[in-house]
Amino acid sequence: MKKAIKAAFLGLISMAYVGSAIADITFVSWGGAYTNSQQKAYIDTWSKGSGVTVESYNGGLGEIKAQVEAGNVTWDVVDVLPDQAITGCDEGLFAKVDQSSFIKDMVVPPVSDCVVPQIFWAYTAFYSKSAFPGKKPKNIKDFFDVKKFPGKRGIHTWANALIEMALVADGVKAKNVYKVMSTPEGIDRAFAKLDTIKDHVVFWSAGSKPLELVSSGEVVMSLAYNGRIGAAILSEGKDFEYIWDATVLEQEYLVAIKGGNEKEALEFMAHASTAQALADQAKYIPYGPMRKSSIGIIKKGEPWFIKEGGNIDILPHMPTAPKVLKRAVIADPVWWADNGAEVSERFGAWKGN
Amino acid sequence: MSQVQSSAGPILTTDGIPLKVSLKKAERKNKIRAFLLVLPLLAFIVITFLIPIGDMLARSIDDRQINTVFPKTFEIYKKWDRKGLPSEEVYKTMFFELKESEGYSIGKASTRMNYSKSGWKSLLKKSKRKFKKIEEGPYKEKMIAVDKKWGDPEYWLALGQMVDPTTMGYYLNAVDLKYDSNKNIVQQKENRRIYNKTWIKTFKVSILVTLFCLLLGYPISYLLATLPMKYSNLLMICVLLPFWTSLLVRTVAWMVMLQQKGVFNNLMVMAGLIADENRWQLMYNQTAVIIVMTQILLPFMVLPLYSVMKTISPTYMRAALNLGASPLHAFYKIYMPNSIPGVSAGCLLVFILAIGYYITPELVGGKDGQMVGNWIAYHLKTTLNWGLCAALGAILLAMMTALYWAYNKIVGIENIKLG
Repeated sequence: MKKAIKAAFLGLISMAYVGSAIADITFVSWGGAYTNSQQKAYIDTWSKGSGVTVESYNGGLGEIKAQVEAGNVTWDVVDVLPDQAITGCDEGLFAKVDQSSFIKDMVVPPVSDCVVPQIFWAYTAFYSKSAFPGKKPKNIKDFFDVKKFPGKRGIHTWANALIEMALVADGVKAKNVYKVMSTPEGIDRAFAKLDTIKDHVVFWSAGSKPLELVSSGEVVMSLAYNGRIGAAILSEGKDFEYIWDATVLEQEYLVAIKGGNEKEALEFMAHASTAQALADQAKYIPYGPMRKSSIGIIKKGEPWFIKEGGNIDILPHMPTAPKVLKRAVIADPVWWADNGAEVSERFGAWKGN
Repeated sequence: MSQVQSSAGPILTTDGIPLKVSLKKAERKNKIRAFLLVLPLLAFIVITFLIPIGDMLARSIDDRQINTVFPKTFEIYKKWDRKGLPSEEVYKTMFFELKESEGYSIGKASTRMNYSKSGWKSLLKKSKRKFKKIEEGPYKEKMIAVDKKWGDPEYWLALGQMVDPTTMGYYLNAVDLKYDSNKNIVQQKENRRIYNKTWIKTFKVSILVTLFCLLLGYPISYLLATLPMKYSNLLMICVLLPFWTSLLVRTVAWMVMLQQKGVFNNLMVMAGLIADENRWQLMYNQTAVIIVMTQILLPFMVLPLYSVMKTISPTYMRAALNLGASPLHAFYKIYMPNSIPGVSAGCLLVFILAIGYYITPELVGGKDGQMVGNWIAYHLKTTLNWGLCAALGAILLAMMTALYWAYNKIVGIENIKLG
């Protein structure tokens, strides 16, 4: 009985939705400058009949799981983080994708069978040049050294990337970070390092916040998404400077939700993951394409980043630039899928005490 | 009573039917009509309120999923003495149940298993892929060769929490306890104990916010209720204007006001009250949560207080003063008791809203301002541990019910007045 009522109710709701959105696909991403770049790179150029409605979300699989479980899928293509790409694919929330056309062209192999490649983005430390008239911070050790560079630090409210950065600041080599993190002592070590800046941190959760914090002088340096820093430098002319050390590289993928307009969604995803589409996206935001051939296209086309009054070279602003990559940590989504919940609870305890 | 009636005979209507029956018939029609009128509302409440709450309560104790994926393994597992590693038989059953599982059951089960021991998720995924190549035993050795986690007793012991189809594990998790492998209740690892602290913090913040709202709201409401109309209307608009403004806008406005390089600190420095390097940390901590929530919830205190105070006749106070009471005494003896229904309503309303608050602590809470609502959101979105979300939610619900019950016993619910 309960089920019947539930089904009838959901049926009614879904009818209302289907009626209004036939054959259109709903594309869900993170909003802001990032979605804007997607809009210009491959949504505006999409001409195969079905219209595309763009929506924003704040990440996580909560909404998607709710839609799939209720049999009322209103999202078709979603822009997801790699650990969610793994979990969602394993739990049957996403449709499988034919990856033969791009799998050999990818910088790293795809994390699951349900994804098409998008970009690398990164957690990067940065500061405002005006905050340090004399000696300037050069590496992640300086970020964690409040004696050498006094002042507040901006960090995000979740544990990802912070653990990695703390370990590198404590002397672990970037390529060994996950080996150390897989031992309980390694995590203790990371938290001990975080303890050293605990009384000097300001937390942020929205991507635009660290830029405000640094601009207003509320903090002297902060972690942020590299694309936001790049956009502020390139488009707004801010005097920010990256600290390209222990940059934590994260991947970003598109997935099709099972039970949505799968056919149209997959067609759209094929269009949105061509080498050209990914290269075009870099005209509007400094994130690194996941396809090798996209980087070739950009190299040939430099100055690539579109700006009024003259385009700008984009490759130096990308987290996948060779000099950055040498000192970067590539985030391991499998480690985070396994240990994310436990480390997050511990991080919560650390924050609150 | 019935004897008296039977001896006197029932009273009949003109058509010979007993009056009682006839009356009932007429009333039944009315009752049905009344019921039909409220039916849409009833259906609405059942569908949007009772079913979801029931569903949530069911989720908070449901642990069937995992048992349906590894039924045989759990059957044999129960006989294991929990010492050292399990027998070859347990390994073998696990091997085949994992290898032969279909669809997405393993993905879902591994998410569940990962809650009790981090690492199960990738272990099952990797093993399922590699087991395809293994044709024969000994399975124990070969499984350990695939991944050494299979040889770690910790992983096997963690399964002990999941042997039953229903579990109190999520509730235990929500108060920093857990099951050990024999389903004895033990304390959570020290560095993962966060929920008790969060509960206390949530209560502390809610109580303080309620208290501050009352302290600030009482005089305002008194003014509103006693000032002449032309002033009180203006004042009312001042109370309501922020109420009509978006929650987010108000929260962000507070950020601008209170941050270290913000308006308030700048003024204090300019006035020479605090030194430039000692600016107050008023944002991104618990203080910020309390300040901002007090401002946001203030109208919920002022409105019920005002509407009750409006009904207190000014002649009472005048009479008390006339009879020789000092103003303070008259206020304490006459005005305050009369305003209690409004105080109760306001406090209950503010407290209930405060205890489930999410967005304000998220934005201004920083390191120590996170409340229970924030953890529910985290698990709902990121870890997909909906069982834990449901348990946290159910505890909140139970607390509110208990509070309501206690309130009813002590003050009496009929004393609540919204106007």
